[in-house]
Amino acid sequence: MKFRSFKLQNLLIATEEQQAQSKKALKKQQKEAEKAARKAEKQAMAASEQQGADEDDFAKERYGVSAMVQSQQKLDRVLVRVQDLSPEKADQLIWLRARIHTSRAKGKQCFLVLRQQQFNVQALVAVGDRASKQMVKFAANITKESIVDVEAVVRKVEQKIESCSQQDVELHIERIFVISQAEARLPLQLEDAVRPDGEGEEEGRATVNQDTRLDNRVIDLRTTTSQAIFRLQSGVCQLFRDTLTKKGFVEIQTPKIISAASEGGANVFTVSYFKTSAYLAQSPQLYKQMCICADFDKVFCVGPVFRAEDSNTHRHLTEFVGLDIEMTFNYHYHEVIESITDTMVQIFKGLRDNFQTEIQTVSKQFPSEPFKFLEPTLRLEYTEGVAMLREAGVEMGDEDDLSTPNEKLLGRLVKEKYDTDFYVLDKYPLAVRPFYTMPDPNNPKYSNSYDMFMRGEEILSGAQRVHDPELLTQRAVHHQIDLEKIKSYIDSFRFGAPPHGGGGIGLERVCMLYLGLHNVRQTSMFPRDPKRLTP
Amino acid sequence: MPMYQQGDSRSSEHALQNGEVDPAVSALEARQDEILRKLYELKAAVEGLAKTVTTPDADLDVTVSSSFSSQSSRSIMLEGSTDLDTLLGEDLGALRDIVINANPARPPLTLLVLHSLLSQRYRVLSTVHVHSSVSSVPPQLQSCLGPRHPDSYARHLFQLGFTLIWKDVPKLEMKFSVHNMCPIEGEASVARFLFKLLAPYPSDPAAATLVDSWVDTAFFQLAEGSSKERAAVLRALNSALGRSPWLSGPEFSLADVACYCCVLQSCAASSAPANVQRWMKSCENLGHFSSTKQLLQ
Repeated sequence: MKFRSFKLQNLLIATEEQQAQSKKALKKQQKEAEKAARKAEKQAMAASEQQGADEDDFAKERYGVSAMVQSQQKLDRVLVRVQDLSPEKADQLIWLRARIHTSRAKGKQCFLVLRQQQFNVQALVAVGDRASKQMVKFAANITKESIVDVEAVVRKVEQKIESCSQQDVELHIERIFVISQAEARLPLQLEDAVRPDGEGEEEGRATVNQDTRLDNRVIDLRTTTSQAIFRLQSGVCQLFRDTLTKKGFVEIQTPKIISAASEGGANVFTVSYFKTSAYLAQSPQLYKQMCICADFDKVFCVGPVFRAEDSNTHRHLTEFVGLDIEMTFNYHYHEVIESITDTMVQIFKGLRDNFQTEIQTVSKQFPSEPFKFLEPTLRLEYTEGVAMLREAGVEMGDEDDLSTPNEKLLGRLVKEKYDTDFYVLDKYPLAVRPFYTMPDPNNPKYSNSYDMFMRGEEILSGAQRVHDPELLTQRAVHHQIDLEKIKSYIDSFRFGAPPHGGGGIGLERVCMLYLGLHNVRQTSMFPRDPKRLTP
Repeated sequence: MPMYQQGDSRSSEHALQNGEVDPAVSALEARQDEILRKLYELKAAVEGLAKTVTTPDADLDVTVSSSFSSQSSRSIMLEGSTDLDTLLGEDLGALRDIVINANPARPPLTLLVLHSLLSQRYRVLSTVHVHSSVSSVPPQLQSCLGPRHPDSYARHLFQLGFTLIWKDVPKLEMKFSVHNMCPIEGEASVARFLFKLLAPYPSDPAAATLVDSWVDTAFFQLAEGSSKERAAVLRALNSALGRSPWLSGPEFSLADVACYCCVLQSCAASSAPANVQRWMKSCENLGHFSSTKQLLQ
């Protein structure tokens, strides 16, 4: 009983150290030590019992806990992916690695559901000439979420297995080894986390609230829904890049630590920077424009964007991924709008055509109408939007900014008339836009700026920028911006600047609204908001 | 200038009616001036066109202007714009956009003809979209409303929007004022609505009913009927056209548009009797039917 004596010794050392400590703490520690000792004893008992039983176990080479994979050997074993398990593979002996999703033991049989990402398959260990009683017991006792290597024969099933993604086959396990053991108690159950809202209440089952999910993000990300969401998000990024690259855009990287805020210092994070302070970029705006002045013509960048707005809403994050576009145009900024909307339409089409499985998976938990759009994209002018709102009984001035409820209402009106979830609202009032926005040549109250909406929520805000240093200075003064602070920005336009425009999209918002989700945290892998900094 | 005075008095009346001093009055006036200027240009363009056209097209202009014969030609153009106000409701300072959802499997030929007629009468902003419910639309359908207007970047310069959306719909539908109108279903109903923007229906109830019955005949018996029914309609057309140049008498009407398009669509044109052939030629001479033939090719 080497193990036990080690424990005792430990206890002795501990007691020596604690002599100075209070009696209470000492007692507590002692109790814990006793508990640990008892547990060890129990384990030893179980082990010896197992050993006794092992003697008549003919299958003991066929299961167990593998040694930790430390790259001791390089096996020539092909691991089949769960999604590839189809009736064509019937009666083949295959290996695969998967997680134990659920297990259910029933006498001489044990049913397992093996999961790999968003796919799962039913597996069966049954007492017979391949598996012993002990092996079935072992399989039944593997904790949920453990990772196992399994050798099994693929068998066709007569009745479809409704609960699994691979419905036509099941696995008859011949060997099973635990590669990584999960702790017995999970902070949340995966089945609870994918249950559609409302369904749990009817059946008296648990649902997991958002904070619990986010606190245990690693486990929550394993759910089929999360898997689908983030695969789709990766698709959005890829389609964005592919489309723009095809249009002749250049991807750029811009610094995120900047010396001056682009739109006044109200909603920027200040960081200490050696002996002075700096800000976290709230958009790559200035750098995109400098690249334009440096003859890059068409640029885009994908990177983090920071907003120090203390707003705890369903659609605000303090750090998110911005997809930013800036391009020169020839004569009219609508060239820019057309380029951006076409990019968005290509993304929507790509998602519709290549990510149907993911969209279906998400809609199982969060049902929503499929995303609708027009090609070419519908463009309305601000005055038209205001007129539509007024017709619906909203009282607002010509130059008022759209409030969030009005934005949503307008989205509903547009959907009703044009049946599109994506549209552009053009010609915003100049007063509600930043200083670098180009005024409308025909009506100085309006500007050459635009917002794009998905399901009635803003996803992009853009404009033609002022490329004339004199007018830019004038506009900055009008907005009471300290000219000293933006000197380098204005100076970059002094040596010949082409007319240009652009805009920035929030990746998380696009995914949220495309899928019809209700909270941007669902589409942010590790969300940051005023109240959350971990994980 | 008399035009300006008229504009002024109207907008101030409007303000008085509302019983408030509207700060937007001056903006409204500016807009009205702008519209009047555009109308004036338009009028010049139409007059130029009218001179070059010697076909029965002139009939249409006559029918429109005859109802305002007591007024000067300048106020006819003015009445044109108030016409839209009375027909389509109060001007809210934004484009009046007519949205038509059509299935690309059944292109609405009559509406394309009416679109061409509307474009001659008003400044129409025409756009064609493809809805995400259909995957691909042939290029001739995407350009069926003609080339893009050079001013299409400025929506506020137009009187009327004509937005055609190719969409997977079982029945053609039109959406105009989503607040006051339910969606209008069926090509015939939409055609009647659009034609009323061009010319008032005949004031004689019998003549108006005759137009309506021809439209029904076109859509129910020509477009959807059996070959027997079609032959019967062609005979009826032939005898009607033996009595007068157009289907409803001396004036070109919606009956002609509907019947022409449905004859064309049902491929009965080649075997049509003499009067029908002659009438189809005169329709084609109007110049508004060219897009329909292109689409059927």
